[in-house]
Amino acid sequence: MAPIIQVEGIQKQFDARPVLHDVSFTVNKGDIVGLLGPNGSGKTTIIRLLNGVIEATAGKILVNNWDPHSQGHDIRKISGILTDGAGLYHEMSGVDNLRFFGKLYGVNDETRIQQLLEDFQLADHQQKKVGTYSTGMKRRLGIIKAILHNPTILFLDEPTNGLDPEGIQMVLQNIHTLNKQYGTTIFLCSHILHQIESVCTQYLFLDHGTIIESGTKSELETKYIKEISVKIETNADINQLNPLYKVVKQDGSFITFILQTKDQLPKLLEEILKKQFWIHHVEIQNRDLESLYFQIRGVKNEDK
Amino acid sequence: MKINRHVVWTIAMKDIKGITSNKQVLIGLIILPLIFAVIFPTAFILLIHFVSLTSSDIEIMTNTILSGLPNGGIKDTINTLPSFNHQIIYVVVNYLLGSMFLLIPVINSMMIALNSFVGEKERGTLESLLFTPITVKELFIGKVLSAFVPTMVLTIGSFVLFGVITTAITYPIFNGFIFPNTNWILLVFWLSPIITLFTILIEVLVSARSKSFQEAQQIGGLVILPIVGLFVGQATGMLIISPIILLLVGLFLLMINVLLLFLISKYNNRNTLFESQV
Repeated sequence: MAPIIQVEGIQKQFDARPVLHDVSFTVNKGDIVGLLGPNGSGKTTIIRLLNGVIEATAGKILVNNWDPHSQGHDIRKISGILTDGAGLYHEMSGVDNLRFFGKLYGVNDETRIQQLLEDFQLADHQQKKVGTYSTGMKRRLGIIKAILHNPTILFLDEPTNGLDPEGIQMVLQNIHTLNKQYGTTIFLCSHILHQIESVCTQYLFLDHGTIIESGTKSELETKYIKEISVKIETNADINQLNPLYKVVKQDGSFITFILQTKDQLPKLLEEILKKQFWIHHVEIQNRDLESLYFQIRGVKNEDK
Repeated sequence: MKINRHVVWTIAMKDIKGITSNKQVLIGLIILPLIFAVIFPTAFILLIHFVSLTSSDIEIMTNTILSGLPNGGIKDTINTLPSFNHQIIYVVVNYLLGSMFLLIPVINSMMIALNSFVGEKERGTLESLLFTPITVKELFIGKVLSAFVPTMVLTIGSFVLFGVITTAITYPIFNGFIFPNTNWILLVFWLSPIITLFTILIEVLVSARSKSFQEAQQIGGLVILPIVGLFVGQATGMLIISPIILLLVGLFLLMINVLLLFLISKYNNRNTLFESQV
């Protein structure tokens, strides 16, 4: 896949206060990339830089082979953005907000607006002023605003912030659909890791103004997960099992083992079953994004 | 890059709708024309007509204005008026109220334009706009229009209202029309649009640089009021001397406007506009 975003050695300072230093990464067309990092690490600044809203102090950026500084206009035409505050006019109705932004993006398609309002369950509230919307409704309207013009690249800054479980599901489902149906490249920032785990194909870890690690989840797993913690629901007697499988915790029928490699897991399960014990549930515990995140940040901070 | 008129109007119309749909803002904008174009002239003319004035100030002022007028047509007309009260009314309607009338476009356009960018910043919507494929120039022009159009509608509306009321009151007194004369036409259709644009251009720049409405109001007021005060204060003098002066003053301000527009077109940097809010 061809790269659509190329960032090399970006630096950004606000009044001599460095926010980003030496940020480099590449995003391929059609990828769903998650930019992860603590609050204030510079995630939003990166989105602003990529769209040419602010200028980098140093470094090189190309989005769809355009330089945001001199060709930002072209970039902004093909990109959709959901900012943290959604940036909607509270004194205007939901549908008027969409019509206004639609015109700025050159979309005058009322059918599309109505369809999207329907998809995001806002059709019944479209005539109400946005000021009366709940946080979740504002965010959903913000997402419609971002995808109204069928962008090639979609930037989502904390897209699930303030949403209820239903809303989160709706948004994640839509991100997935957009990517599958239209091949939209999606660049999303978040610190709510377990929510974006199911949608992202690649991750960038931002900390202290620089990208400390990047890759797919399985790449990162191979690199960072040295031991596997497995929780098994079973009636097995641990004294009858090979001592190679270290037990760290037993809570009724839930036993947590530490394994050296993933390959040991089938062997362990086989041994339990062979000894006529039952198994109801098996779960690898430390492979989720959150564990990876802390693992990576921990390792990188130790390196310093 | 070519200016996209459609986008410019979309921005301007959004703001104009914002003004007309907000009762408080609308009332604020209508009160001023009401005072300067309706209440003040009516009260003034009726007072002079029905109450025999003994104030020597008005007498002195009227005489000063009369002596300042060039010899010929108008001076003769005034001198042949039946009474001194008639003369005062004529002078007030045609010379004094004109300068006061200029305050309508100036103050109204100032209040709208000051809010132009600061309003977006305070609502957190400026960033949304900066992320859209519009140029900063289009955004500026949209903002200028959103202040210019309502101001001119209010100004011309006030002029018509002022004309109807003044004529209704003065026609029976003078048995004829004393309003409008060339000066008034020039004032409303030549000087007002130019001075409005001048105010708007300055205030939009101030608004783009300020972080809050309060800040914009303080700086904006400081910048514009002395300059405009000078013109408004001198307007009576200009009206007395001749319509040519009005034309020339307008032309001078127009040239400054062109300069300001040039300055604004240089100020087409997203980064600067973005950083002005943080």
